Amino acid sequence: MKHATTRQSGIRPGAPAMASLCLLLAGCGGGSGGSSSVCIQNKGSDTMVNVAQAWAEQYKRVAPGVDVEVSGGGSGVGIAALIRGTIDIANASRDMKPEEIEQAKKNTGKEPKKFIVGYDALAIYVHKDNPLAEISTEQLADIFAENGATIRWSQLGVTIPGGQDEIIRISRQSSSGTYEFFREHVLNKKDFKLGSRDMNGSKEVVELVASTPGAIGYSGMGYNEPGKVKMLRVAMRKGEPAIEPSVASTLSKKYPIARALEIYTLGEPAGEVKSYIDWIFTDAGQKIVEESGYVPLPAEARKK
Amino acid sequence: MFAETPFVRDKRRSETTAKWVFFAMAGSMILPLLLIVVFLFVKAAPSLRVDFLLDIPRRGMTEGGIWPAFVGTIYLVFISLAVSAPIGILAAVYLNEYARDNWLNRLINLAVINLAGVPSIVHALFGLGAFVYAARFGYSILSASLTLAIMTLPVIIASTREALASVPMSFREACWNVGATRWQTIRSVVLPNSISGILTGVILQVSRAAGETAPIMFTGAVFFKAVQKGDLFAYNLNEQCMALSMHLYTISTQVPGVRESVPFATAVVLLGSVLLVNAAAIALRAHMRARKKW
Repeated sequence: MKHATTRQSGIRPGAPAMASLCLLLAGCGGGSGGSSSVCIQNKGSDTMVNVAQAWAEQYKRVAPGVDVEVSGGGSGVGIAALIRGTIDIANASRDMKPEEIEQAKKNTGKEPKKFIVGYDALAIYVHKDNPLAEISTEQLADIFAENGATIRWSQLGVTIPGGQDEIIRISRQSSSGTYEFFREHVLNKKDFKLGSRDMNGSKEVVELVASTPGAIGYSGMGYNEPGKVKMLRVAMRKGEPAIEPSVASTLSKKYPIARALEIYTLGEPAGEVKSYIDWIFTDAGQKIVEESGYVPLPAEARKK
Repeated sequence: MFAETPFVRDKRRSETTAKWVFFAMAGSMILPLLLIVVFLFVKAAPSLRVDFLLDIPRRGMTEGGIWPAFVGTIYLVFISLAVSAPIGILAAVYLNEYARDNWLNRLINLAVINLAGVPSIVHALFGLGAFVYAARFGYSILSASLTLAIMTLPVIIASTREALASVPMSFREACWNVGATRWQTIRSVVLPNSISGILTGVILQVSRAAGETAPIMFTGAVFFKAVQKGDLFAYNLNEQCMALSMHLYTISTQVPGVRESVPFATAVVLLGSVLLVNAAAIALRAHMRARKKW
């Protein structure tokens, strides 16, 4: 059937214009300079995602030519992306582990550089009607850690209005830096007891606690919703004074479960990334840390 | 006239009962849609203003609007369909018009059917590995759109094949019998008679591409990106973007202090634009069908 049939001249291609795809490869990828807008890719900690968002929003006013792209996912997600060299800045609410730093060096040839950009007090939340006012980190470990003996509120001498006695543990997903920090500093690196409710965000923890009378959960101080949940005072050991989570108690290191909010870059930051990080260290950047409910750097650690 | 015998009466009654039972099931389909729409609108009412659509999120995403997410969704949907529609339609034409029943074509068919059954989260991981890392597109609109394209492809192929198959065989035979080749037949008979069905199938994928969160979250959608208010050309292909589905997820789960009406208003915009596009598909179909000759 290869006979030439009468052909109409100029056969149009049947498919709709495929040429509509013109690739405008300017701007972001791999820090190419010289284009009208530069963008900084920023990914990581869910704890820090709101403060990172607020920085990005405000920085657009400071430097209109710079777009900062912010994503969450968890500290582990941000660090993994940094190791692969696909982002400029990783947000982390925990330190990079030595093996992660090794991987990053091997993969990209650059050493990750850490900046502490603020602090966060990890608050212990219970329902607003829960009569408990303070707790020690040992008691917390008994509640949350594998083989911990505490499973009922009555074991802590507490009666929950409404009669719910079982402790409902609210935890985080395992890629979360908050999860890692809590495991390391409260559970002494023991594993979590099975059967906790693992939330994907800091806000979700607080919301579930607010709607569950028998619940206890951990989340950043910045996520407090006064009137719906209660933050417990925390003591390092039983018998020691219990400290309320606050800016002052975090900076003075009296509050036992506070941590640094960190950002990592690959190697020494340069160009727009450096300007952005420098700006985070100014009073304007630190004011946003405070407004987001975290603890800003003390004056001597800031930049002019 | 005949008097109704008990046998006929029983038959008539069970017929009536059956009809109403079936109708009740079919009619109850309206209820969820109606409830969803009414519920959304009532909850969203305090935030529904034109400026909500055009403004960018402000004050830590608790105020302002959703423009960057809205534009991002338009980019993702448009680019993904611009890729998947031509490929899908051409593939379907081959499978329906040319393919003989042999092992290779059966394999292709099997691949298409199985691709349609792959969960979106698996597409997400594939997109991450293939486009973000292997092809080095990075986290970008390009990676996210291509991932969505692969996800919508099998459904476009299936719906196009269905549209092609609805063209009666006798049309093709008549055309072949006057000496036309297969391609000439496809061009002048098959495609013109099935184009409404094909386009409807493609347009219906808009809602799917616009609603998916997992594939874009892994490949190119961000929590936040600052763009200019009302800027339609806010993104480049190699940048990441915000998207409505993802924005809805993040402001509902991650951002403290968002007014209750804001997520609902976002949902109204997402649902509204999708319904609008679907309505366009229905109108197009009705218009084309009116011109159908059989």
